[in-house]
Formats: sequence, structure tokens, C-alpha cells
Amino acid sequence: MKVAATGRKTQFEKVTTPAKQLQILIVDDETTFLETVRALFTAWSKNNWNIVSANSADQALEILKTHQFDLIVVDVNMPVLDGIQFLRILDRRFPDVKKAAITGYASEEKRSACLANGAELFIEKPRSAEGLKSIFVMLEELVTWKQQAGFQGMLRQVGLQDVIQMECLGRNSSILEIRNRQLTGRIYIEDGRIIHADAGDVKGEPAFQKLLSLHGGSFQLLHFEPPNEHSIEGQWEFLLMEAARVRDETAGESPATEPEAEPEFSARALPPDMTASENSVRLAETLIGGSQGRILYEWQCADATARVALLTEIERLAARIGRVLPLGKFDRLEIQLPAGRAVAQFKLNRMVFVQVLTEGGNP
Amino acid sequence: MNEKLRQWLEGCALAPGLLGGGVRLPDGNIVGHSFNENCPLDRFEEILRCLVDSQPAFSNHGLKPRWLTWIFEKTQIRLAQRADGLLLGLALQSNSPAADNLDLLTEEFLNLDLTH
Repeated sequence: MKVAATGRKTQFEKVTTPAKQLQILIVDDETTFLETVRALFTAWSKNNWNIVSANSADQALEILKTHQFDLIVVDVNMPVLDGIQFLRILDRRFPDVKKAAITGYASEEKRSACLANGAELFIEKPRSAEGLKSIFVMLEELVTWKQQAGFQGMLRQVGLQDVIQMECLGRNSSILEIRNRQLTGRIYIEDGRIIHADAGDVKGEPAFQKLLSLHGGSFQLLHFEPPNEHSIEGQWEFLLMEAARVRDETAGESPATEPEAEPEFSARALPPDMTASENSVRLAETLIGGSQGRILYEWQCADATARVALLTEIERLAARIGRVLPLGKFDRLEIQLPAGRAVAQFKLNRMVFVQVLTEGGNP
Repeated sequence: MNEKLRQWLEGCALAPGLLGGGVRLPDGNIVGHSFNENCPLDRFEEILRCLVDSQPAFSNHGLKPRWLTWIFEKTQIRLAQRADGLLLGLALQSNSPAADNLDLLTEEFLNLDLTH
């Protein structure tokens, strides 16, 4: 059964495969943890997961010579070859296999390293069966999401437009490098404004539209460096809407003419350190929600479900006051905080929440 | 309503693009002014009441806003609360001088000395 994501043309859709048993490899040097997880996950999946375990990276590599997996779960703190190194190897050899990192001692450095080396989830080891159930649900969500032809970027079903939106809402400065086999281009964002784009010989808005019209490839966020020129002056909201229009218009064209996605993965995570701008403002929290409150991406949300509830409440309230006076379409709520700001924006069946704080500030 | 506050609120009308302004007093009453026929007082006060009622939702979610700006296609609504409980609501046209000076107006309200 396929459950297509609702809303505008989307690059992703959820796929469940009841007939096929999912192949899961879990690599951890803690035998007790492996045995517990194996028993519980097998039961919770109703035998839909075939779990293979390995005590070390080299044992896992041996298994990988003869078995194919849908998901590999790697313990970060393993002796000899640690999880981060192992993830890097896995990402090179098995770029299409989903990967999750798990650790008993989470830190921001580990998280960034794991995500930058191919993990799509970074999970702290739970201390209770309830915690393990949450992990199972997250892993199941990860393994049943299938990326369609489209950009490999960040986490799961978050697309190029979402990243640009987050960078602009967060008033960040960064360079978004986009590439596929035929084209490489860059979009320059400075303090939340799109200031320049180049794609081959094309510059400015045409380059921006061209890059956002691509149907395959990869992208990564780079540290900001000023471009040689400023070729874009328009507001990012309008640029994105125009890009969406162009993309929708070209969506009906033959996919056979589209370039294939790059076989190699670029850095797929949004490393938090890259989001910090130089004027001592740091990104504190990000969430992207889809229709019906589905969480598409979250980073450092203390309670993502509560955030979605707040966003839903904001949207409901905006609709209510929009019925009292003709205010026009609701775009966003800007929240000025004692030491920073937050923005909740609603468009194209997406709700985005970004909170940025001045250095040392609390919400 | 404090005379100084009343004068300040009426003075806001001088900012082109301001549609309505109002204050929720500590006793819960709302005193509003309409500065534009497209923003009838009763409707503006209804919006203000609605937004004021929603304020606790933010603190319940760990956010302590100094002010909020609800941004619509044509209009913005600014809500700012002082430590003494006074809450200001301003409705204004986007892309107007009032919008350009909105932060200034808000800071003025937040720092307005109402003791004299």
C-alpha cells in the first residue's frame, strides 16, 4: 500500500511492505542490549523485521558481504573501529541503505559527526522498555520512508525548498551547493536573504529557478563566504513561490529526460555549527511539519509533538481572526523573545518553526 | 485608562498605515481605537480579545514573548505585553510607514512611564 503525501507535488511518499520482511542489521558490542533489542523488535514488528546482530564493525562487514539490509543500526561507542568511522565506511559502500546511530552517551559533537557521515537518525540508548518502544517506532518510520526521485538532502522527506526556508527564517548565512550529473550551482543566503545564485553560465533569479527546478541530485550546506556579486534582490518568499510554480509547470515533463540522482551522497545532515551565523546568533530549534501535524524534520525540539500542537493552535487562531477582518492569507507569526526570536511560518502545506537565540540566551 | 497611555495611543494614529490600536487593561477591559474605516472598532476589539486569550499558550510552550507579530498578506497585528500587565495590540498595513516603525512604537509602549 502506498500512502502518498498530501499537498503539492512532493518528492516523497510513504511505502509499507507487508509482504516483504525487512532486513535489519544491528551492530553493538553490548551483547545483552543486542539480545533484548532483537527479542523486543522482532515481537513489536510482528516478525516483519528479520534482525541480524553483530558485535563489532568487522563482524558486520563480514555479514554485509553476503546479506542485503534495509536498515543498519550502529552503536557509536564501539572499540577498535568506532561507530562514526564505521558509518563513514557504510555510507561509501552502501549509500542506499538507511542508517541510524545509537549511543549511551549522546553529545552534540557525536550527533553532528554521525549525521554528517550518513546516519539519518541519531538516538540515545533508552533505559527502559518504553524508551525502546519509542526507538522501534522511530526506526520503523525511517525504514518505511522511501525517498523518491528527488534531492538527497538533510533528513528523510525534507526538501531543498524547506532548507532554504529554514535558512531564511532563521536569518542565517550559508551557501547551498546543489549538484547533479549535469549541473552544479550555488545559492548564497546572507542574514536570511537570498543574495546570489549561479548555475553553470546562468546567474541571478534564472539560476535560482533552474536549481530549484532540478528533479534529482544532491545538496549540502556550506559555510557562508560572500559571493563575487549580488544578483538577487527579491524577497525569498516570492522567489520560493515562483520556483514552486515553475517546478509544478515542469513536473509533467518526461522523467526520462531528467538526470539521474548522483550515486554518491553529499553531507545530508544540517550540521548545527553551520547554521550559526557570525553575529553570535545560534539556531536553537527547528521543526518542519507536514499536513495533519506530521513531523517531517526536527532538530533540538525538547518536545516536537508539543511544538506541532502550538503550530496547529497558531494556524487555527490565524484562521479565526482572518474571518473577523479581511487580513489576507496568513503567512507567519514572528515571536520576539527576550534573547532571540522565533518564527512560525505556514505555506504550501508545510509549517516551519525556527528559533534563534543570541549567544547565551534562553527562550 | 491612564491619560498618558491614552495620549500615546492616540498619537499612534499619526503613523500612516496604522489601522487600529488598543490596550488590554489590567482589569481585563479592552480599550480600542479605530484609525481606518476598513478596521471597524468592534471587529478590531474582537481580534484583540481573541489574541489576548491566546497569550498563555506561548508561555505554556516555554516561550516568553516580548511581542508577537501576526503577519498576513495585507496586514500585520502586533501584540506586546508590559510587566505591569498592560497589553498593546496594533493592526497595520504591511509595507507602510507604520510597519517600518513598528518596533520603535512597541519599544515606546513597553518603556512608557505611566506613573506620572
